[in-house]
Amino acid sequence: MNTHNFDVCIVGSGVGGAPIAYELAAAGFRVVVLEKGKWHKESDFFKDENLGRHRIFRSQFQDERHVLEEPNDDGSWSSDTTSQFWGGNIVGGASNFMSAYFHRLKPQDFKLLSTYGAIDGANIVDWPMSYDELEPYYAKVEQLVGVSGKVVSHPHLEPRSTPDYPFPPTAEHPVAHRFDKACNKLGFHPLPMARGILSIPHNGRRSCEYSGYCGSYGCHSGAKASARAALLDLAVKNGQCQVITQAKVYRLNTNDQGNVTSAAYFDDEGKPQQITAKVFVVACYAIESARLLLASTSQKHPKGIGNQHDQVGKNLHCCAGGTGHGVFKLDKLTPGEAQQLKMRGPFFNRALQDWYEINDKRIAEQPIKGGTLDFVFDPPSPTSEANSLKWQDGNLLWGSKLKQRIKSHFTQSKDFKFEVFCDWLPNDDCYVSLAENELDKWQQPIAKVKAGFHPHDIKVAQYLVDKGVEVMRAMGADEAWGNVFTSPTSNLVAGGCRFGLDPKSSVLDKNCKVHDVDNLYVSDGSFMPNGGSVTPTMTIYANAFRVADQIIQRLK
Amino acid sequence: MLKSGAKSKLHQPRAQSRKALTSNKPEVVRAYQCGLNRRAFLKQTGAFTLFASLLATKPVAVAADLPSNVGQDEQNVQFDDDAKIILTQVQMHLFPDDGDGPSANDLNAFAYLSWALTDPENQAEGDQEFIVKGVSWLQDLSQKTHGGGFMQLTKTEQERLLHQIARSRAGENWLSMLLYYLLEALTLDPVYGGNVGGIGWQWLAHQPGYPQPVVGKTYRDFQ
Repeated sequence: MNTHNFDVCIVGSGVGGAPIAYELAAAGFRVVVLEKGKWHKESDFFKDENLGRHRIFRSQFQDERHVLEEPNDDGSWSSDTTSQFWGGNIVGGASNFMSAYFHRLKPQDFKLLSTYGAIDGANIVDWPMSYDELEPYYAKVEQLVGVSGKVVSHPHLEPRSTPDYPFPPTAEHPVAHRFDKACNKLGFHPLPMARGILSIPHNGRRSCEYSGYCGSYGCHSGAKASARAALLDLAVKNGQCQVITQAKVYRLNTNDQGNVTSAAYFDDEGKPQQITAKVFVVACYAIESARLLLASTSQKHPKGIGNQHDQVGKNLHCCAGGTGHGVFKLDKLTPGEAQQLKMRGPFFNRALQDWYEINDKRIAEQPIKGGTLDFVFDPPSPTSEANSLKWQDGNLLWGSKLKQRIKSHFTQSKDFKFEVFCDWLPNDDCYVSLAENELDKWQQPIAKVKAGFHPHDIKVAQYLVDKGVEVMRAMGADEAWGNVFTSPTSNLVAGGCRFGLDPKSSVLDKNCKVHDVDNLYVSDGSFMPNGGSVTPTMTIYANAFRVADQIIQRLK
Repeated sequence: MLKSGAKSKLHQPRAQSRKALTSNKPEVVRAYQCGLNRRAFLKQTGAFTLFASLLATKPVAVAADLPSNVGQDEQNVQFDDDAKIILTQVQMHLFPDDGDGPSANDLNAFAYLSWALTDPENQAEGDQEFIVKGVSWLQDLSQKTHGGGFMQLTKTEQERLLHQIARSRAGENWLSMLLYYLLEALTLDPVYGGNVGGIGWQWLAHQPGYPQPVVGKTYRDFQ
């Protein structure tokens, strides 16, 4: 067994862990990051559909997986094993493959209970901090990590300490103009979407190359604000931060006082190792962070670390919402219009937040929390698309009929998409526990995710999806439709170790330190009592910088 | 963000989706994307029994048909001459030279198939064995219905026979699997051996990304 002494040991190198590493190393502390995946860099990220098809940078099902339980229509629960929650088994985590919609949360997301009231069956609470306390860290992320965008006035614009984003918007696809016109006609407020993608070079990273292969693909230029490209490369360069790759942390060891003494991990050869440090930070994605705490039982923590009140893993949440499409038939457009819509490279980059709060008596007597519509392109995946076309009305197509169908799909129409984000209300049926009788390749119990949803989510999502379809129609789409989903998002899962003032109903204190452990923090999305009605990545980044400041203060 | 390309070789998805599931939202959760292996999938969808019964009722000399290099990566699977000729012909039915776009031969589809089947996951899922068994099944059916092998039939008779086998779940699975690999040869990067010179992309006016993968940096080099 090797033992190294560090000031801070961080488990996980993604958006929750990298800001801690960056800030602590910059402040002169000795930092070690334990990452299960390998270190890949820009030169490895080819625009190759096969990398995704074979889950090259993600955990393999045969190595590690999750049990997923979902509600059936008849009230029973399904149970499957899945690898869908593995977003990135790689330094920088899933942020290497994100689309990087970098919305902030809004003030009411921090006080959902006091703003909108209780909802039966939902575990809604106010956060122990306000938007104002996190705002400086949002501004920091925008500058340091790099967020491109343009602030425009709209009814639900959140307060800002800076007048605009530090980087101008990324290049826009011509469809954005068509979108703006349609929204203005409808009386909506079209927003340029903030992206964690550099529009101009910054901190040694190149700007976007507009290949049109962004979300789900690794970034070749370094423009995408992955935790690795934006922070860890720099943290390691300054010499105070060490990243140990292929290190699978399976347990946190604690002493008689209940404080963490070491992180036990298997190295790249499967041999057990451990790291000692003064402070430990867990940030390995909401599901896995809960698993690690639950698996770290001891005399002092018989039910797992932080779990004295059975709160670890509870109140997990995903992003509720749905998706929709607008399909434009190119032969119905002028050649110039068709050529514009076929362009690949620039981003759609539009959002609507007119219904972040819904005040419409047709859906509720009182105002309720709504959400965001992001208008985007699906990442290109021509092979998956072509394969989906071989089925028509339940029959297998082949020959010239199939060829014509594929050709028409690729050349005669253009599909634009919108994604709806609203709260996945935390509830008693959505949580992480340890699976019984299921082990990963390191012979450790895997996590079980029970993914129950609240019916209120469907009502809100449907309202927003209908708005998206309305916009697509106003844009002139020949076909427009949308669907609400109740399955959990495979990415963007948060909660499970929510923060709060009462140890009986939360795992972490306001500073994201485990209530009954003096030297253990959780800094990924686990802390969030609710996810907001946007992708939570920007907020996880911001909060991790806030936690880093707390740890620096403590170690000084 | 994440959500990588799922593979649905055999059956149609539970619901049709126009787009691959590569964005933030799960439009459709397909079995493979949930991480189910094919065996689990077949069991779950009820197809397992059909597939198993096919195996049981077609006593072909599987072991003798298997090439000696099964399991060796980076070498093409070797089909026997009859199987090679039949599979090439079936591929031309699936993606014919009809004057509009590349044919299976133009896409180098058979060579691509022979290479793709050496993928460890595809090997583990038994794709090669299933394809070989399907050839034997097709030959048997051809003998039974026409008194001769598949290659002795006219193209019209061959096409009719393919439609006949597609009426059974197992036969449809076999064709679906061949199409799965054929469509990979249509749209994957040319570095993998199909889509020769980007001929598939050109036909579909598909703009590839940048940079494209190169020899030494294909997905198998990262495995």
